[in-house]
Amino acid sequence: MRLRRVVAAPALIAASLAVVAAAGCNSRPRAATPIHGFQAPFVFGRFQVPDENPLTVESVELGRRLFYDPRLSANGAVSCSTCHIQRLAFTDGRARSVGVSGKPLAFNSMTLANLMWGPQHFFWNGRADTLEDQAMVPIQHADEMAQDTGRLVAELSADAAYRAMFETAYGEVSAKAVARALASFERTLISSHSRYDQFLRGEVVLSPDEELGRKLFMAHPDVKVSLRGANCIDCHSQFVTAGFTARYDGFSNNGLDDEEHLQPGLQAVTGNPKHRGLFKVPSLRNVELTAPYMHDGRFQTLEDVLDHYDSGVKYSSTLSSLIVEADNRGEAASGRISLHLTAGEKAAIIAFLRTLTDRDFVTAERFSDPFARE
Amino acid sequence: MRKTSYVVPVVFALAAILGLGGFWRYRASRPIELTLYFHPFVGPEPLVLNEPRYPNPGGEGRFEVRDFQLYLSNLRLTSGSGVYVEPDSYHVVRFDGAEPGFGIVLHGVPRRDYSTVEFGIGVDAAANRSLAQRGDLDPNGRMAWTWEVGYKFVLFEGTLTRADASVPLVYHVGFDENYRLVSTELRKGSVTGRAARLDFRVDLLRLFQGAPIVDMAALPTVKFDRGDAARLAGNFAAMITPMRTEAP
Repeated sequence: MRLRRVVAAPALIAASLAVVAAAGCNSRPRAATPIHGFQAPFVFGRFQVPDENPLTVESVELGRRLFYDPRLSANGAVSCSTCHIQRLAFTDGRARSVGVSGKPLAFNSMTLANLMWGPQHFFWNGRADTLEDQAMVPIQHADEMAQDTGRLVAELSADAAYRAMFETAYGEVSAKAVARALASFERTLISSHSRYDQFLRGEVVLSPDEELGRKLFMAHPDVKVSLRGANCIDCHSQFVTAGFTARYDGFSNNGLDDEEHLQPGLQAVTGNPKHRGLFKVPSLRNVELTAPYMHDGRFQTLEDVLDHYDSGVKYSSTLSSLIVEADNRGEAASGRISLHLTAGEKAAIIAFLRTLTDRDFVTAERFSDPFARE
Repeated sequence: MRKTSYVVPVVFALAAILGLGGFWRYRASRPIELTLYFHPFVGPEPLVLNEPRYPNPGGEGRFEVRDFQLYLSNLRLTSGSGVYVEPDSYHVVRFDGAEPGFGIVLHGVPRRDYSTVEFGIGVDAAANRSLAQRGDLDPNGRMAWTWEVGYKFVLFEGTLTRADASVPLVYHVGFDENYRLVSTELRKGSVTGRAARLDFRVDLLRLFQGAPIVDMAALPTVKFDRGDAARLAGNFAAMITPMRTEAP
């Protein structure tokens, strides 16, 4: 078969049109400055900024400040950045995060890269439909930040610097404005300077190992035509590397638990029994830095993850046929689920996954703690 | 003064004639909204997801459908007085079970008595080799596959249950040569009113009922083998047929 290489157009799209248009028809204070020339890679595809919360210089700066401010928690010791650390691609290195209560939470801290692409349902079980809704949940959660929104607004209002920033960005200090500012900052957390991005722009060539890994990542195996694959792309899209955007297509049961131990997952949100055990498929951008892995942080290394997909998948009634059927030996009918990858192939896939690391993203000052400089 | 007694009725009559003519012209120039509504079936029965209720068309056992979606492209309506071509016409028609079927709504269709509706099953070769995001085309979507082929045209995933085993079913069909244009004659007056609807039956079973009929146990997956893909794609045209019922 002829090889059709996916070489991304080097062009970038300017999103400023949508942003400026949205900014024009809003009661937002005039003082806020729409962001012009906001850019994202063409291959990521379309994205939307809500009309009621356009990206402005001031809202993003305010969001960044709030993100790093421990005053968002009841005990003044926990900020968003406690569990979302920039150098770890905004994860925290723990299996399950720990907030003000000291009790490990139910889930692993999720990376915050490229949030405008992939599933637009947030949290591992998809229970928030917007970043604005998502932002207020940890602030109020008893184990995470346990903050009372009334008290938070009062504290922020007492600070002259915050008062001025809120006034310019949103016209008032309010819980709603806190959520909007945090969401605005999060929308700017775009990771697009990895080696994979450079490869897509035609700027670099991947090593033979990385290239083999990329092809395995992007293929569902088919013994009939001697096509070997690791079927990653069946859940992780080829450029964004997160779950799919449409409806709940970006949620999947990846065979971590058997029927008896299957957690509710997406079913807790939709009530659909066929959604039991389905969790959000996360972005693999910077995956080298986001260990431990899975919604409960059960795997320590990428090798563990590859071993799981290769031979550790457990059967349950909501497991995708695509996972059961994917087998490089074509023995799916045997009842044993395995990809039958070689050790070399697993290493190649990990080599490819490491091309998703974006040093700019994890060190950029624009995403860093503003208080550290004051 | 006598003159005005003629003038007034004449002016009124002229105004009325012009107004009526204008109204008819205006009405004729107003675009309509046309819905193409697709009803999923498995043989004679409406599709019910996630139940092993359908007999294997060419062998033992019963199969269930977990996911069924397809691309329809390049919608065109023709009439004696002109052709309507939908811009960026790429649609993922998906049957998730929440709705009885799937509707594609065309806005701004010129009002004409259309005689045929035409669409492609799959994605035309030019779009299939492009990363451009027109309509529902999305290289980061579920219908995109591998680094060398564009889109799955038809996706059906499920399970075949037999006495001795349960077999995963994966049918992904989507090589350039599998693209099929389907043209349907419309009865006169099918497209009238400000919002019209055309109903189609999409019969999953037809995919497997070519000659010879497919035994799902013998062919549980179709992916990158061009011969297998052609075997199912040969039945694309028979899969979608107009429903000759009045829209509710």
